[in-house]
Amino acid sequence: MRKVVSIILALTMALSCVSALAETAAFTPADSYDVGERAFNAGEVVLTPAGEGGGTINTVRYAGEEGKDYTDEKVYTLVDTLGGTNGMDWNPHTWETNDDNTVLSMMTIGFYGFYLNENKDGYAILPEMAADYPVDVTSEYVGQFGVAEGETAKAWRIALNPDACWENGEKITADDYIYSMQQQLNPKMLNRRADSYYAGDMVLVNAKNYLYAGKTTYDLITEAPADLLAAGEKVYLDMDFWGCVGALDAEGNAAEKYISINDDTMYRDTSVKDETADEAWVSAKYLYDNYLAAGAPYEAYASQYLYTASIAEGATWDEVGLKKIDDYTIDLILERPVQEATFYMPYNLSGTWLVYKPLYEACKTFYDADGKAVDNEEAAATVSTDYCTTVEKSVSYGPYKISYFEMDKQIKFDRNENWYGYHDGKHLGMYQTDIYQINIIKEQATELMAFLAGEIDSVGLTAADMATYASSQYIKYTPQSYTTKVSFNTDYEKLLSRGTGSQILVVDEFRKAFALALDRAEFAASYTAAGAAGLGLLNYMYVYNPFTGETYRDSDYAKAGLVELYGLTWGEGGDYATLDEAYDAMTGYDMDAAKELMKVAYDKAVAAQIYDGTSPIEIEFRVYSNDTTYVQMFTYFDTQLQKACEGSGFEGKVSLKMTVDPDYYETNYSGGADVIFTTWGGSAMAPFGVMNQCYTDAYDGSGNQMEYGFNTEEIALTIVVNGEEITASLHDWSDWVGSTDVPALDEKLGVMGDYSYETRCGFLAAIEKCFLSYYTTTPMYYRQSASLISQKINYATDRYDNIVGFGGMEFTTYNYDDAAWAEYVASGELKY
Amino acid sequence: MTKYVIKRILLMFLTLFVIMTMCFVLIKLLPLPAVREMGRDVNLIMAKREQMGYNKPIMVQYFLFWKSIVTAWDWGVGEQMYEGLSVWNVLINKLPYTVLVNLYSILIAIPLGLMLGIYAALKKNRWQDHLISTLVVVFISVPSYVYAFLVQYLFCFRLGWFPLTLESLDNASLFSAKMFRSMFPAIMSLGFGVVAGLTRYTRAELSEVLTGDYMLLARTKGLTKAQAISRHALRNAMVVILPMIIGEFIGILGGSLIIENIFAIPGIGNLYISSINVRDYNFFMALTVFYTFIGLASGIIIDISYGFIDPRIRMGSKK
Repeated sequence: MRKVVSIILALTMALSCVSALAETAAFTPADSYDVGERAFNAGEVVLTPAGEGGGTINTVRYAGEEGKDYTDEKVYTLVDTLGGTNGMDWNPHTWETNDDNTVLSMMTIGFYGFYLNENKDGYAILPEMAADYPVDVTSEYVGQFGVAEGETAKAWRIALNPDACWENGEKITADDYIYSMQQQLNPKMLNRRADSYYAGDMVLVNAKNYLYAGKTTYDLITEAPADLLAAGEKVYLDMDFWGCVGALDAEGNAAEKYISINDDTMYRDTSVKDETADEAWVSAKYLYDNYLAAGAPYEAYASQYLYTASIAEGATWDEVGLKKIDDYTIDLILERPVQEATFYMPYNLSGTWLVYKPLYEACKTFYDADGKAVDNEEAAATVSTDYCTTVEKSVSYGPYKISYFEMDKQIKFDRNENWYGYHDGKHLGMYQTDIYQINIIKEQATELMAFLAGEIDSVGLTAADMATYASSQYIKYTPQSYTTKVSFNTDYEKLLSRGTGSQILVVDEFRKAFALALDRAEFAASYTAAGAAGLGLLNYMYVYNPFTGETYRDSDYAKAGLVELYGLTWGEGGDYATLDEAYDAMTGYDMDAAKELMKVAYDKAVAAQIYDGTSPIEIEFRVYSNDTTYVQMFTYFDTQLQKACEGSGFEGKVSLKMTVDPDYYETNYSGGADVIFTTWGGSAMAPFGVMNQCYTDAYDGSGNQMEYGFNTEEIALTIVVNGEEITASLHDWSDWVGSTDVPALDEKLGVMGDYSYETRCGFLAAIEKCFLSYYTTTPMYYRQSASLISQKINYATDRYDNIVGFGGMEFTTYNYDDAAWAEYVASGELKY
Repeated sequence: MTKYVIKRILLMFLTLFVIMTMCFVLIKLLPLPAVREMGRDVNLIMAKREQMGYNKPIMVQYFLFWKSIVTAWDWGVGEQMYEGLSVWNVLINKLPYTVLVNLYSILIAIPLGLMLGIYAALKKNRWQDHLISTLVVVFISVPSYVYAFLVQYLFCFRLGWFPLTLESLDNASLFSAKMFRSMFPAIMSLGFGVVAGLTRYTRAELSEVLTGDYMLLARTKGLTKAQAISRHALRNAMVVILPMIIGEFIGILGGSLIIENIFAIPGIGNLYISSINVRDYNFFMALTVFYTFIGLASGIIIDISYGFIDPRIRMGSKK
């Protein structure tokens, strides 16, 4: 009997094995997937020329609350909180975070101040550390600093405010500005903010060359290495790729970090014990040829480990574009002319780079090349500083000065009585706050209790808090320039290599069906504190006309782009009478259409042999953490996907899997994720550069683009410009709109700056629509935060402005002084 | 004994060196945090890293790391956190808060835990013992941050007995009554678990000791119950309990990330994890050395303490 049972079991096992093998062998997904022609016609843009100089700025500010005494003897304290993550540093040359900037903004003031305007519906620009608005003096520099005859808007003269002084009463003169900039660009210090005057919109002549002074700089490649080599460029391998920085060659020389991929010097890889074994000796050339070149196993990592090099020309301080004219006048000479200068010059000079020389010098520490402390800067290879890290090491020249600082606990500011603004008669109706206190509290629940107990004057709310406080009269909503979206990996080979079936993400209809299955309004209301449902890449924060404050999202071009994308029509014979009606009705949610598309996607996937039609499919959704909100969001996505699959061949076969990955952005950059949440945004005052900075810069992980595998260089975008069809890649259009030179488009259209703001919106809307039409990303909501403000204070306005917020601390007024507030809180009547 | 202690100390430094070397090499083998900042010059960060010697061979970096410490007691400056600040200064600034809150909590928790444990052992299997044991299970099972929220909500927010957060040094000196009062909610939150742990250990040890033959002998010799317990039972029970108490002291230096965040205590609770997450080499190494040293040193202290509690235990004796 035993024998019989054994034989039956053995036969069963054998049959199972055969059947399993048969199943495995039955279907092998295709090696590649053809996405079809990638051509998109975005419609028409009408060209209208730009106006002269851009426009005029408002110079009349809000006068302050009528009847309010800003100079009484009572004490008014404003108490805020900050997260204070891992230290704070308010050195103007090295600051990093918003928290740092909060401190900096109290104790410094810019050349120009942006204040709430008289009608409280925008901003006014007024000189502060400058005595007047900038004057174009380009003609005085013809033949110097690269300025050619006839050029304008490249050299600017700033008259300095003669009343400005440090908190100890010492006058601030042109010499302070010159010294401070020299320190900001100090090559031995390599200050984190040194790039402020060469990497942004305002590029001082030779600032970068002075900083790097002949040093070689390496930049990650932005083109295929083979193309670079063909163009005669040198390509370098970061030897960290193989862990071989410092490995020795046969003569005992250590490997540099960056070595040319043509260099065949062999270095001993000590991780291979046997010196005679294969790969015990490797060269940059060997590593490139065998691992990173086209077709090699780690080709996808090329963009992370291959570099091009360039050598900064080097410049002396005299060649840098900052000049002292007299004690109270300086000139800025720029590499590029400033467009719409009446706005953008003050905007770029809304801060300064000033540091107080005696203290700055005292805060320096000098090291030689081996990190050994040395006595002076001349002997040093590197110089570090702890300027602006304590009360004693800080000097103010703004409305407030630091009076107390306790690391990771508290910062207090008192009035800086030597600030000119308290005596010049030009700042009446401002600054009622006597003491500004920042408490460092990291836990939001603690912050909320402290707020409810009257200890702090504002608190950020979470989604969970909204149930209680959404209808409070003290709630304020602060929009942010970020859009949160879902980004899909569409690199077929990467997805296929997972073996989970997630390669179906390459099917356009699948992604579109997924997008249509998501109800953004429900999502934003359920899982965010104050986020607003969003369908565009750029939200309502982006101002396309800085002179009028008009926003891109509210422009007809931007509205039409989204309405057309979601298939709504307007006008005669359309679904809606007007564009606005259609726009307001648009939700992006259509489950029926999603189900139909899912059927198409299934048929397409099976026909293309990328899916066998029966196997389970697991799509990995990477999130930052497994906190409740992420779990709820993930559950929503999974539920909606399941619903969309109902009735299609995918029903019961597709599922999402949540994976926690704190480095999910980096994972995504190397194509290691299927789907992730991404949040991007740029400067709200510069919408035209956002597309090429955030969304189309590089599809292979070397840029900021999060849609891995979506090559915008392969998308042919046609825009009908004044009746003429012009076609270029989505990548090129995006660059051109972002004011990067694209010869083919420059030739036909000139530069973006030649056209009116409305025309620029048209181009931007065209590329946004094109990008979204491939559904490699699905916008979910526009970021917005909600907070409660204390009954103690009033903001100047309820309308949030991109630049001046609710009016800022300058115009914050008080209903209670400190003593009265303490009494009121003690009475127990404080309720929100 | 002296020879034994010297030998242990030498071994401790050897172990410390090995651990430091391993940690240095391992953290340096991890790739540096990626640099992606829109509109910023990435080369600037790369150049700074080059300047800080991050691109030198690891062993060269290790040598320079040691050289700075030995010649100038320089543990470097922060790169990814507390940028530009001396690592040593940051630690020294933040350590007192962590030590003080935890020290207070243990100083209060130890007598409480011992008393409750002794009481429960003496009332073994009676309702008092059951009540204490039940509470012990509750307090051991529930994480301290749960108490922290409850304590903060009830005693600080609702009843207003204590401030919601730690006072700043601007309002109260570190050793003032006002500061102690503001620390008390955190002390309570940290102490519940220690009290529960000590109570359980003391009860268990004492219960066992109390049933020993020598306790019967002691009573037969004419000692009162109290004398027998204090002179014989407790002393024997302490052989197990004392190392646990010393162990708690070691734990205090680690701090508590969540408790410190809840009560806004500027301690070192989250420094170590942050230094690993953001890959700040200098902070990571300084903290590794700090914690490893404390751990190794306390191991020696615990071992030596056995000899003091129980003279029968001889350290390093060959007899």
